Amino acid sequence: MFEVALKALFLLLYATFVGFIFMGIIRKVSARIHRRVGPPLYQPILDTIKLLSKKSNITHGLIYDFGIIYALGATILALFFIPIGSVSILRAYGDLILITFLLEIPMLGIMFAAMSSGNPWAGLGAQRALLTLLAIQVPLGFAIVALAEFYGTFSTYQIVMAQQVSGWSITHVSLLLAAIAYDIVLQAMFGKEPFDIMIAPGEISLGPMVEFGGKHMGILQIQHAIALFAETLFFSNIFLGGAVVTIFASPVLNTIASLGILLIKQIAVLMVAIFIGNIFPRFTIDQAAKFYWKWPTIIAALGAVLASL
Amino acid sequence: MDWKLWEPLIEFARKRSLWIVSFCTGCGGIEMPPLMTSRYDLERFGMMPNPAPRMADLFLITGYVTPKTLKRIIITYEMQPDPKYVIAHGSCTINGGIYWDAYNAIKRLDAYIPVDVYIAGCMPRPESVMEGINKMMEMIENGTADSWKRYKENYEWYKKNQDELFGEGWREREAKRWIPWIMDDLKRVEKEREKND
Repeated sequence: MFEVALKALFLLLYATFVGFIFMGIIRKVSARIHRRVGPPLYQPILDTIKLLSKKSNITHGLIYDFGIIYALGATILALFFIPIGSVSILRAYGDLILITFLLEIPMLGIMFAAMSSGNPWAGLGAQRALLTLLAIQVPLGFAIVALAEFYGTFSTYQIVMAQQVSGWSITHVSLLLAAIAYDIVLQAMFGKEPFDIMIAPGEISLGPMVEFGGKHMGILQIQHAIALFAETLFFSNIFLGGAVVTIFASPVLNTIASLGILLIKQIAVLMVAIFIGNIFPRFTIDQAAKFYWKWPTIIAALGAVLASL
Repeated sequence: MDWKLWEPLIEFARKRSLWIVSFCTGCGGIEMPPLMTSRYDLERFGMMPNPAPRMADLFLITGYVTPKTLKRIIITYEMQPDPKYVIAHGSCTINGGIYWDAYNAIKRLDAYIPVDVYIAGCMPRPESVMEGINKMMEMIENGTADSWKRYKENYEWYKKNQDELFGEGWREREAKRWIPWIMDDLKRVEKEREKND
């Protein structure tokens, strides 16, 4: 019991720290793409400390506070279900559908809070976010179906173990198609550029985030860090082979090695998202919905059909 | 918990992550994009332009201020959460600049909202804006950037000046200003519909 709590704490701290570094990597790499120097890597940590140390704070009622906590809690829960090397806590129950569902719940929490603030921009952003959420479901569902068809199981940990034997998922044609569709969906889940319609800085002020200031925004930064970590981790687990290292004699060395391998894979996933995000402009919401129901859906459906043959 | 121990870290974080609310008044707005883009990259210091006043710390007032803009500036300033800093940028915010005899420009911004740092020039070069921001960071570090405290303590004085300029109850009047227009429009639409029926 105590050991599980300790593991959970370690996982939480590790995910938060690495997530913040990921946010820093996003800003740094974007700056380098623009030929700028960019902020230091630890910049998001400073931002969060500053936001949490604000002396005055506003609130718009109970739901406004609750939505933020709800989003953070759902992200942490999603993190605990994803197998991360050999450290994970609830990996035996880490169902594909459960994790994809839990990774979308935080959006709903943010929507609750944004809608209860009564700001028209926040309402507009919430509408756009919900439509994006609706649009990404179709390719996401097909990608999950393709995985489940291919491996004959919904358990993420079993999929990782199967990949240890039969090679990475993306080396099979059907799952490569599913991975491409999932990667396009990831762009919307990160809130990166071609599909950052819900946040849309400049276009609709900041969308749902417009009314969050001070401590609420600080908690949302922590939530965003953990969500970045969890989403990249989930992708590298199901498509890039995860990491189960057993070559060393000591379990600590094995854990560190698998965390390192996972980190490299996560950064690779993140880099693809940053590069795509920096060279494409934003879609309008109707274009995004049409796009998601067209190309990624076709690709993922093809993958699902190929996987079941 | 005793936050005294963490104070240096918090001050460092406040200093190194000033988020600017993108409120570009007047011609100084044109000096903001060069500061943020690749030549004079302000993101090195962790600064970020931000469209939402709720997340912002730093308010750059870039150029002359008309009474109509000043109402929005005051509302935006009051929306920011508390450790908030103001940099007045350009000569027009100091004494009216070339609009010294204009009937419709504010001569002294300091009478309406508190200012931490002034940057003179028309327009100031990006280097001098960076110099001003450097000064601002020093002031945050040694605790002399206390304009938000001054605004709280001397609120009567600031409110008196604002009310003298705009008249009492200007916030309500400003909010209700568009209602007659909208009502007229509604009536016109109603009439047209009756005519068509």
